[in-house]
Amino acid sequence: MDSQALTALAGPELAPAPPPARLGWWTRLGAVGFGVLLLYPLAGLFARVGGWTWSGSARDASLASIRVSLELTGWAMLLVVLLGTPMALYIRRAGRRERLVWQAALVTSILLPPLALGILLSLALRPDGWVGSLLLQLGFVSSNSAGAFILTQVYVSMGYYVLGALLAFEALPAGLEAQAALLGAAPWQVFRRVTLPLARLGLAGALSLAWVRAIGEFGAVVITAYYPAGMPVQLWIHLQSLGMRAVMPLLVAFLCAALPIPVLIHLWGRRHA
Amino acid sequence: MLEAGIRKQRRGLTVEVEFSLAAGAALGLFGPSGAGKSTVLECIAGLQAPDAGYVRWNGAALFPPPAPLHRRGLGYLTQEPCLFPHLTVAENVAFGLSRPAGESVWLSEVRERLQLGECWQARAGHLSGGQARRVALARMLARRPPLLLLDEPFAGLDRAGVRELIAALLEWRTALGFALLVVDHNPDVLSRLCPTALVMLQGRELVRGTWTELAAAPDPRLRALLAPV
Repeated sequence: MDSQALTALAGPELAPAPPPARLGWWTRLGAVGFGVLLLYPLAGLFARVGGWTWSGSARDASLASIRVSLELTGWAMLLVVLLGTPMALYIRRAGRRERLVWQAALVTSILLPPLALGILLSLALRPDGWVGSLLLQLGFVSSNSAGAFILTQVYVSMGYYVLGALLAFEALPAGLEAQAALLGAAPWQVFRRVTLPLARLGLAGALSLAWVRAIGEFGAVVITAYYPAGMPVQLWIHLQSLGMRAVMPLLVAFLCAALPIPVLIHLWGRRHA
Repeated sequence: MLEAGIRKQRRGLTVEVEFSLAAGAALGLFGPSGAGKSTVLECIAGLQAPDAGYVRWNGAALFPPPAPLHRRGLGYLTQEPCLFPHLTVAENVAFGLSRPAGESVWLSEVRERLQLGECWQARAGHLSGGQARRVALARMLARRPPLLLLDEPFAGLDRAGVRELIAALLEWRTALGFALLVVDHNPDVLSRLCPTALVMLQGRELVRGTWTELAAAPDPRLRALLAPV
């Protein structure tokens, strides 16, 4: 995801729309064609694959994967917000050079291919390594555990959230936070009463993006946390062992879980912005 | 009493001034654009740190070490009202009060004196320029600060707006007795608020005195500054 896409997600006030122009019918036709092509993959939902399988072990495994994905991604997002928001505030106030270093680090974490990230993460946290053994002593199992699942999701989504939050904070009107402080508000009060309400829309966009990225993650999670299986891994297992008829119901559940929640977050942020 | 000795390097210009301002007194910082007036005000407000020098208010050090903005206890108003657009006018005005519920009588007085009754419940983002400036003034005065720093607060207002704001400031100064440090490049406006002025040129003090003394000064640079446009 490049910075333009993040800017667009952060809210319309960051990228004001150009004034409306008279559009010819052929331009509109081209735009409609583009839209159809863009959403065409959804036509796969109506493909004839035979009767959908939603019973027995396939149903139980699907329901378990839905619960795993929603619950563990929720925890991962909590960590992303709690760690990423102060980090974005810090980077915003950092000097120019330090800021460039942080931005490079964030972009690197975004650009790491998921499969490579999964392999690197499992090597870096291997039980015989000093970090892995330390975590093991603290009760954290670094592979095939709920903790490994959450940690991997945090890694794949943190960069998106922090960059989006940074854009949201940078879009605040200049001088408001200083004025709030001069009016006697302590730093925490400035954040709670001014920064957060004004950046809410952008933060909601960043969180939506992080949610979609995390809940849909397959390549990294399949290496670090094959168990407990979340929806993407379970889809893969169904595809390998039971075929498309078992995949389709879980696929619908996957889309229903992955798409509406970020849209709701975004609408909530817009309503309160 | 405000005591300030400020040295600040700024894009090829060294700002270096020293002055004091008694509690309840008023001083104008006058000079052409780029003379370093706003830099002095921002150093006192804490928005910039001086490279060297001192800032004290009633004996307490604001610099060095730099005191946090929220503990400075002064009012600062610029040509940008910096209202909080997500709050109503009432919420903006009460922003700096620790217990607004206990100060409803005072807030009503602020609202009536600055004629904010009509827009009191409106979102601050939907106000006209003059209204926004009055709200910013009300928000600052509601805290009853002992020292007000005004950085070209009348810029962009029409004559009626300027007159209205000056009248409000003078009235409130009589009531609250705050000290006033005002930056402006318009001597007509500045002389109505401050009986004395410190004239700055290229970061340094050129001269200071009452407006009568300044008008009688022989320095041709000062005459050029005071000459009507």
